[in-house]
Amino acid sequence: MRRLLGRSGLVLASLVVVVFSIFPVFVMLGTAVDPAANAGGRGVIPAGISLEHFARIFTQTRFPDYLLNSLIVAVVTVVASGLLALFAAVAVARFRFSGRTKILMMILIVQMVPMEALVIPLFLQAKTLGLLNSLLGLSVVYIAFSLSFAIWTLRGFVAAVPVELEEAAYLDGASWWQMFWKVLFPLVAPGLVAVSVFSFILAWNEFIFALTFMADDDMYTAAVGLRTFFTRSGTDWGAVMAASSVITVPVMIFFVAVQSRLSGGLMAGATKG
Amino acid sequence: MSSPALGSARRPWLLLAPTLAVIGILLLWPMVRVGILSFQDFGLRELVRGGAEFVAFDNYRDVLTDERLWKVALPNTVVFALVCVVLTVLVGTLVALLLHRLSPGWRALVTMSVMAAWAVPAVTGTYVWVYLFDARAGFLTGLLGQLGLVDVATQNLFTERGWFYAIATLNVVHHGFPFVAVTVLAGLLTIPSELPEAAMIDGANGWQRFWHVTVPMLKPVFAIVTILSTIWDFKVFTQIYLMPGGDGSNREVLNLGTWSYITAMSQNKFGLGAAIAVLLTLLLLVITAVYLRTLFKEEEL
Repeated sequence: MRRLLGRSGLVLASLVVVVFSIFPVFVMLGTAVDPAANAGGRGVIPAGISLEHFARIFTQTRFPDYLLNSLIVAVVTVVASGLLALFAAVAVARFRFSGRTKILMMILIVQMVPMEALVIPLFLQAKTLGLLNSLLGLSVVYIAFSLSFAIWTLRGFVAAVPVELEEAAYLDGASWWQMFWKVLFPLVAPGLVAVSVFSFILAWNEFIFALTFMADDDMYTAAVGLRTFFTRSGTDWGAVMAASSVITVPVMIFFVAVQSRLSGGLMAGATKG
Repeated sequence: MSSPALGSARRPWLLLAPTLAVIGILLLWPMVRVGILSFQDFGLRELVRGGAEFVAFDNYRDVLTDERLWKVALPNTVVFALVCVVLTVLVGTLVALLLHRLSPGWRALVTMSVMAAWAVPAVTGTYVWVYLFDARAGFLTGLLGQLGLVDVATQNLFTERGWFYAIATLNVVHHGFPFVAVTVLAGLLTIPSELPEAAMIDGANGWQRFWHVTVPMLKPVFAIVTILSTIWDFKVFTQIYLMPGGDGSNREVLNLGTWSYITAMSQNKFGLGAAIAVLLTLLLLVITAVYLRTLFKEEEL
């Protein structure tokens, strides 16, 4: 009897956690498909199911532009920070040189710098350099913010690759760069997946820099563009939630799908080397 | 390492050069720059024409003598962060203990839901809570009204400081507990099952086993999640800025992050905004240092 009670207690607690966790997502999706979303007086169960809000944001608003901007910025961030971090990780994992420990410490410490404290100087710098209102300018900031984590993670993956493989390639007459791309790169690919997910989500979700850097309405990222659905005459909640769903759900599915591999990769990165 | 496959002594520096340039230009120099700015009278004129006058500690004097710091921004920041950290670590730990006891099937389901909560961006998550607590029409506002806690016809929760931060707390805890749950669970899985079993044989009940076996073993894990949560919760920006009034239109709900941002970006007082940002950073540094000190002191014993 006690065991039974214990088990039903666990089930009950599990259901509470599940409901609490996904309640906002449920409300977001429910409102996005609710044709009466803008009519006021709301429950959380949609009155009907219609895709009209989705159709509206894609045909009558600039949301597709915002989405494309976000995608460009995120892809540039992923590729550039992945490559730079891989180079740096190889340098610190494969070579012993004076200053190596200091550089590793510095990389760790800059991770602690609050992004919010850098928004003022970076805004002024970007303005001087003409990088405001530019997808490149925004990407560069996100690259900087994702580098530290990426280097620390990839360092473990690089260290796990036996040096003998590189030496074998060298003896076969491969140049250092050939060895880098043909031997090392494929072997640390799982680590690159882990850091790519991290930097993609960082760039995709970031708000304060996107808000500060992008002055023109056609340069907004998706996260900032949502604000255009809030107007003086009222909030278009159907559009807000439809657009929020488009921003959130693909990332969420992706995140949940790779999470076991991701945490495995991060653990490996944290413990190896 | 002298293996010929690794290349010359210059190679590591070539490989590091782009990263060091990015970190130097985008993280280290701005860190110095925000410090310099905080001693300058840098406003709209300086933004347009360049050149700025040094005003020594004027910005700091202005911030530290401003009633808004002591009555609004600092209490909003500190009390909110403390409540959020305690609740986030508590909820996250409870969920981790639950996950630890579940059968594989249930564990997968609960983990996936928790991951889903984690993956919701701060921006879209905040809009959902704003929608749910909307004046009059919000679902949760209605629920609070039925419980007699709110007068739905007249009250707008976002205009009242207490309610505003209660909603923000719910948002931040919901966003932050998955990280704690996953990290603490990872810690729980490293504890050999013999230890709690031995304690059980010695007659320890569930609470005693948790408190005397699990907690001491997980101390490093708790330290990490607490430090990180504290750092995150002290500088919450997006969740506050996007709530009605959080963008500076309701001065009662400013925290250090939004105050710094609004001062610089909306009022073009970049020097003053930088001084507030420096104060926030110093506060974070002190808290982290105190945590680490306590941690190391206990290690020594």
